[in-house]
Amino acid sequence: MANKNIDHILELSNELRWQIGDEFHDNLTEGIYADAAQIVSDTVQVDESKKRFRLDRQIDKIVTSKVFGFPIMFLILATVLWLTIIGANYPSSLLAQLLLDTFHPILKTGVAAINMPWWLSGFLIDGVYLAVAWVIAVMLPPMAIFFPMFTLLEDFGYLPRVAFNLDNLFKKSGAHGKQALTMTMGFGCNAAGVVATRIIDSPRERLIAIITNNFSLCNGRWPTQILIATIFIGAVVPSTFSSLASLLAVIVIAVLGMAFMFGTSWALSKTLLKGQVSTFNLELPPYRPPRFWKTIYTSLIDRTMIVLWRAIVFAAPAGAVIWLISNIYIGNESIAAWAIDSMNGFGFLLGLNGVILLAYIVAIPANEIVIPTILMLTVLVTGIDGGAGAGVMFELDSVNATGDILKAGGWTLLTAINLMLFSLLHNPCSTTIYTIYKETKSVKWTVFASIMPVILGFIVTFLVAQIWRIVF
Amino acid sequence: MKYNPTYALILFFIISGVLYVLFRPAKGWFWIIKNNFKSNEKIVTEDILKQLYHFENSGNKVDTKTLLQVLDFNNNQIIEVVKKMTINDLIYFESDVLKLTNAGRDYALRIVRIHRLWERYLADKTGFSKEEWHDRAEMMEHKLNHDETNTLAAHLGNPKFDPHGDPIPTKTGKVAEVHGVELPLLPVNSIGRITHIEDEPEIIYKQILAENIHMGSLIRVVENNATRIVFLSEGEEFRLAPIVAANLTVAPIEKEIIIEDNIARLSSLKEDETAIITGISKESRGESRRRLLDLGFVKGATIKIDLINPLGEPNAYLIKGTSIALRKDQAAKILIKKD
Amino acid sequence: MDTKVKSACETCAHFNADGLKKMGIHTDNVDFVVALAGNPNTGKSTVFNSLTGLRQHTGNWPGKTVTRAEGGFEYNKQKYKLVDLPGTYSLLSTSEDEAAARDFILFGKPDVTVIVADANRLERNLNLVLQILEITDKAVLCLNLMDEAKRNHIIIDERTLARDLGIPVVATSARFSQGIPELIHTISEIANGNIICKPHRIKNVPSNIENAVKTLTAEIEKEFPNIPNSRWIAFRLLEGDTEIIKALKSGELV
Repeated sequence: MANKNIDHILELSNELRWQIGDEFHDNLTEGIYADAAQIVSDTVQVDESKKRFRLDRQIDKIVTSKVFGFPIMFLILATVLWLTIIGANYPSSLLAQLLLDTFHPILKTGVAAINMPWWLSGFLIDGVYLAVAWVIAVMLPPMAIFFPMFTLLEDFGYLPRVAFNLDNLFKKSGAHGKQALTMTMGFGCNAAGVVATRIIDSPRERLIAIITNNFSLCNGRWPTQILIATIFIGAVVPSTFSSLASLLAVIVIAVLGMAFMFGTSWALSKTLLKGQVSTFNLELPPYRPPRFWKTIYTSLIDRTMIVLWRAIVFAAPAGAVIWLISNIYIGNESIAAWAIDSMNGFGFLLGLNGVILLAYIVAIPANEIVIPTILMLTVLVTGIDGGAGAGVMFELDSVNATGDILKAGGWTLLTAINLMLFSLLHNPCSTTIYTIYKETKSVKWTVFASIMPVILGFIVTFLVAQIWRIVF
Repeated sequence: MKYNPTYALILFFIISGVLYVLFRPAKGWFWIIKNNFKSNEKIVTEDILKQLYHFENSGNKVDTKTLLQVLDFNNNQIIEVVKKMTINDLIYFESDVLKLTNAGRDYALRIVRIHRLWERYLADKTGFSKEEWHDRAEMMEHKLNHDETNTLAAHLGNPKFDPHGDPIPTKTGKVAEVHGVELPLLPVNSIGRITHIEDEPEIIYKQILAENIHMGSLIRVVENNATRIVFLSEGEEFRLAPIVAANLTVAPIEKEIIIEDNIARLSSLKEDETAIITGISKESRGESRRRLLDLGFVKGATIKIDLINPLGEPNAYLIKGTSIALRKDQAAKILIKKD
Repeated sequence: MDTKVKSACETCAHFNADGLKKMGIHTDNVDFVVALAGNPNTGKSTVFNSLTGLRQHTGNWPGKTVTRAEGGFEYNKQKYKLVDLPGTYSLLSTSEDEAAARDFILFGKPDVTVIVADANRLERNLNLVLQILEITDKAVLCLNLMDEAKRNHIIIDERTLARDLGIPVVATSARFSQGIPELIHTISEIANGNIICKPHRIKNVPSNIENAVKTLTAEIEKEFPNIPNSRWIAFRLLEGDTEIIKALKSGELV
């Protein structure tokens, strides 16, 4: 049956199409709707006499009003973020205590008892286990809080109104209002944010949303920002204001991220992506009361668990690599020390150092393990007291003690500021890169989305470092 | 060299400057040099043919001197190519005047076909803005071969007209007719439909685009004199200088049809007004147009504003029981009749 | 919150409640393939979940289910695989979701297509319904969100609707699992050939297009005598759909 000769049919269809003219689609759609209208007039009765009170419309009037629209929006989003960051603290430290402080030593004693060789136990327990445990402890609680709340708002139908309110801002930078939501989702997790861009059905705007999602500080990066801001920024102002100053610093970084998001969106829509098809449509669906428990259950399963699982898959090998580079020696130096040495020059130029750059390279799989890796590597190369040995990531309960180690590693206020900038502007984590590839199915855009932010990061930190050194 | 932050900064700006000059879009030296290598005999030949074809259509006569003026190539190269073209029997001289042979006209038609098809492609299948269509089509017309052109045409559904309203020659060289006259030739009070918007020269075209004048719109001339032409269309008033108006072709409508005063663009609908959709302007193309139709913005549908946006746009419209937000430029392309 | 209301049919003679088994994602060796189509925001995924017992996440938000979800159920010892298609307003455009939905109904040749429609916005939803009925004649309309329609004082004459469309119509409120047993029963009746549909064909087509479609349809039927949806293929050819051209060439459609 294969390969029918249908050329004459195609020829005929081409000829007929020419005769009909270019209004075929219009006429067909109008015809279908005319049929639909006939059928509806036969079958549907609306009792207009009972005046319908449209609750939807009343809610809409308020949440999209000039006066209340934006305050309500910021209040809701701020509450969600605040609950996430603050609310995650307690379960996070509980998990850290359990997985890092309790299980880790037990495992170490356990394997010592069965005489496992030191390199195998180091590789498995100090490397792989520790990285995975770290990611779970830092990542799980905020996501388990953030995603259900976000999903509830989504199911209720509020989010399309946010896109509606903000679309004009996004339009000016060549993007789609729904990007406001994928960016917010990115505050929880960039990989989830990238998946969420599916709600944008215009190819150009969707690509823009995917590429710029990384400019939303994800929950793996919030703790880094807060820690560094507390240690270094909080210290330059009188102690009564120190927590306010560090909070402001973190907010400035987050806002800077949005500025970069708008700027990059605009530049992309004017250059690389200007040939992509761009359409706009936004349906404002009716509000429907979310089914609370079902929503919580599904968002935990669909979003939190899937993202967490992917992160674990990527974090395990990263832990192994971190342990290996700190324990494999070339000549007298470990690979880590050797790499740090060779990157110190470039790091200095950017107002950072070799330790930070190496930490960002090996911690591509998960932003959560950047700080523990930096601490471990700093102890490794400076030889100061502290830590748990080569290749064993650690974090300290005391912020001051952490600051002492970093300062001993040569950190200044400039290093801190540039680390905060670089934490915002660097390549997405490998989970996100993989997700971008799955969503775009394009190597080109995946590579671009991965490299563009890190180049921006190099440029920004370089400029800040030079100007800082000239001024101070 | 010893590190010094000031030197580092200066070096950085020098490198960025050089990269910008070399690679900036379109005008970067790298692209210009790359394109210059490609400007060869074929391109010159095809551009000459196209010019002659356009002159022939407008009834003007061309000698070598005019040709040198209108074409943007090296004069010697043009003269050289013209010589070769006479030998190859694409053109011939009638005393001073250059003329197309039948073979030359066929060739020219093929180039025009590619150009207009490509503009159609850019309009329907890509997101490039109108200002860019012409230049991109100018490049592409020299690149596609016969088979590729036919594949492209089939892919686009063998369209009859390009997005400016110019007819696209068929495979066999058939050219549909454009009805209408230049707008300044229409007397006051005459009614017509815009059938063509000329995209050259660029400066005038951009002015027309800025005015938001749409292909296929019904117009009524209300004033026509040496200084300006004023016409009403879709509930709005447009004023153009005659030189700009000359780039619009309008087909006068013989039958006495009444342009109803309450025909307007959806963008002009006010809160609490209701209207009936009368159609979507031809300016809305490709995927966007289909999407609007699929969402129910079809002839005869009742529409009203559901929600006003706090930032001005997009407003949400209630159509067939659903609230759908449209941006201003989309709403400007939907025509309505207010109740 | 989820009070399960016993619907009339669950106790009636036709519906065999013991014969129903939700299979979740285990869908091996199925007897029938059922496609689930519908506009965004019609509660399509809720219908999917109540049929299969799965808990796929859906938002109140168009375009949520982009990837195709699959699940299954067993009824009267026959296994059904259910494929949840992306929610679309139409099948005529070139967007990714529409192509996915269109291709599955056309090439996947499901045994039954369930079209989920929002009872509150029937006219808008019929746009998609009428298109699907041009492609397949084994379909059932699931008139969902009846609870909301009731609140909005909308009364729908289901029998007339079924007659006009030429396919069975089942009213449901999937959120409260109302009407789902009837839906399952109807699906099985269509799958087993106990109900024969005579689907509505689009009538209000301008005469120049109708003539072109007739000419083309005749030509297609000459070449492919057994093709069930030659009119739809004529529509697509006039639209210039390259997928259809490819499929015609390879004989995939017959």
